[in-house]
Amino acid sequence: MEERKVLLLKFGELFLKGKNKRDFERLLMDNIRRKLTGYDFSMEYTSGRIVIENYEDIEESVIVEKLKTVFGLIGIAKAVEIDGGYENIKKYVSSIKLSGTFRVSAKRADKRFPLTSVELERNLGEVLLNSNENLKVDLHTPKTILYVEVRFNGKCYIYHENIKCAGGLPLGSGGEALLLLSGGIDSPVAGYLMAKRGLKIQAVHFHSYPYTSEQAKEKVITLARELTDYVDEIKLHIVSFTKIQEQIHMNCDSEYMITIMRRIMMRIAEKICERENLGAIITGESLGQVASQTMQSINVTNSVVSLPVFRPLIAFDKEDIMDIANKIGTYETSILPYEDCCTVFLPKHPVIKPTIKRAEHLEKFLNIDALVKEAIETEEVMLIKG
Amino acid sequence: MFKECVETYSFYACDEFYNPSAVSRKSAFVHAKLDEVRRDVLKKLGAVKGSVIFTGGATESNNLAIYGSVKNGDFEYVFSSGEHPSVYNVAKALELEGKKVHFVNLDKDGRVNLSELEKVVNNKTRLINCMLVSNETGAINDIKKIVELKNRLAPKALVHVDAVQGFMKIRFSVEDLGVDMLSFSAHKFHGPKGVGGLYVRSMQLIKNIVEGGGQEFGLRSGTENIPGIMAMQTALSKIDVKENYKHVSKLKEKFNEIVGQESGIKVLDFLGSPYIEVLIFSGVKGETMLHALEEKGVIVGLGSACSAKKAGNRILENIGYNKDEILSSCRVSFNAYMSESEIEEAGKIIAMVYKDMLKRLS
Repeated sequence: MEERKVLLLKFGELFLKGKNKRDFERLLMDNIRRKLTGYDFSMEYTSGRIVIENYEDIEESVIVEKLKTVFGLIGIAKAVEIDGGYENIKKYVSSIKLSGTFRVSAKRADKRFPLTSVELERNLGEVLLNSNENLKVDLHTPKTILYVEVRFNGKCYIYHENIKCAGGLPLGSGGEALLLLSGGIDSPVAGYLMAKRGLKIQAVHFHSYPYTSEQAKEKVITLARELTDYVDEIKLHIVSFTKIQEQIHMNCDSEYMITIMRRIMMRIAEKICERENLGAIITGESLGQVASQTMQSINVTNSVVSLPVFRPLIAFDKEDIMDIANKIGTYETSILPYEDCCTVFLPKHPVIKPTIKRAEHLEKFLNIDALVKEAIETEEVMLIKG
Repeated sequence: MFKECVETYSFYACDEFYNPSAVSRKSAFVHAKLDEVRRDVLKKLGAVKGSVIFTGGATESNNLAIYGSVKNGDFEYVFSSGEHPSVYNVAKALELEGKKVHFVNLDKDGRVNLSELEKVVNNKTRLINCMLVSNETGAINDIKKIVELKNRLAPKALVHVDAVQGFMKIRFSVEDLGVDMLSFSAHKFHGPKGVGGLYVRSMQLIKNIVEGGGQEFGLRSGTENIPGIMAMQTALSKIDVKENYKHVSKLKEKFNEIVGQESGIKVLDFLGSPYIEVLIFSGVKGETMLHALEEKGVIVGLGSACSAKKAGNRILENIGYNKDEILSSCRVSFNAYMSESEIEEAGKIIAMVYKDMLKRLS
């Protein structure tokens, strides 16, 4: 009898995707393969499950941790794979040591298998009761649930623990978008959430050397790298904002400083999207968090672009955003105390309810097209890998 | 130390000498390099989460791990009896301060006795200390089992592992072991002396033991030893743990075959790391052998360097060897950059010198 340790991977919403299902699964497997680069393993697909096998024992925990960050997976089970029919299953189950209460939960995906799920549960439950003393059946709140799955590849998988994964959709299944990455707590979280819905991420950061420091830039690079735990790699565009800020400072009302800055950032972002063939802009805006994130401000900044702008945090409280930042490991970096470009030239009283009309009027004093063009032409691009 | 480490050292000591905590562009570059080494170390440790705090070597790492875990209140601290002085003596100091400290004996294989450990771990346990590979015998502790035991009996306790003789020598992963903290030292894998680190699963686990400028996430204030840390990175990049392990295992086998032919030489096999072993020379004192061998160009140890100057050997005694055996013992260490012929020659010289000494002493 052959029995071996494997990881049984379960995926989530892919079954919703009809004809595209195979493409999604293929993408998911590619993403898994990329995530586990450098580790020895093999991967098998059997309808409804992916099986990772032939890995080294000491690497199992690391592989599990890495897989927890692959979007599209909802669960991992450390399972034993058994070949060749009911007798072998029975033999293996009789060797399991259990105490307390338990139940067996069986799933027969392969209907050619002679026993139904219910029969499997009943029979294997009996096997366990016979081979273990001090064991009782409890169907409702058992201490241990023994899962038995007979799959289409003719193999059976037995396990007792489900490890929760990130969920979402496979990275790249939704296309690619551009994240405005400021260095604060919110934007990495926004990037994470959209990546979780299948978007690959590029990022743009605006820096204002010498008003902001090299450390502020390093901080953003670190944040981008921390995000690569989930998004594989990030093309990071670092755009110098110094001249633009100085121009606005010289020529426009100080209360509109941030409004106009953000309108120019959006324009630059859209230009980068056009060049890189990206389908949306992602920001970490949360309604009402600061003056530039009121409904009126968002309207004024949004009006300069035609691409969709995804704001996954729009309805989140700061506390909830911080929780996610902690969970994905970006919080500690985000709170490092370096000035970002929004805090330089910060007006005492930024406008809370700006209007498009007024913004457009003030922008007449700037040569916006030239400023945008220059910013994009002088951008620094780096590919951040985990 | 690898020659290349010296080049790296010199580059970061003389050219890129900037303080990583300063605000200049150059400093930011150095800071980014420092974080790069941190990530490299984490990768080599098989860590997915957590961080590394760079220190001035494993003695400091061990002190930080232990003193950093000490809490006021009714807590207990558990130590293996086989620990290196940089752990063992901290345990003794805690005991003097009035903390409740348990020492767990070693079994005949030189490993911490798990059934004894089970008896002293309870919900008051704050910290369990056990080394990965014994510096005296090479024995490898079953850390996974210790963590399992801790999770069962004292889920809130921390497990700290001194892995100085294991890191970059034997394959392991902190995720697989499940430990909270792990110490290592660069000079044990051909990096510079005076550089080491402490892996922590989470920065919140321990508190700092020195106050200062808040470097290393506040856990180890003081300007980082950048040249040393960068030189360590060079050493990390040059080592293939798997290949070295294979090679050293072969060396040890060959060596034991040769010295084992001499009936008075006993090879103590603790089924552990191929990098370390103990020889007992019946009828000849270890120190006599050491000096006689030194003349022939073979350098062995009297126990590890850190405890060689003290009488007897606490570790071998704990395992159950008698005084005569201990006095006639030597520690032999192997490294991956020795050739088979060198090892053969060393083995032959040891056998020859032993025979000669026996004759002279009879």
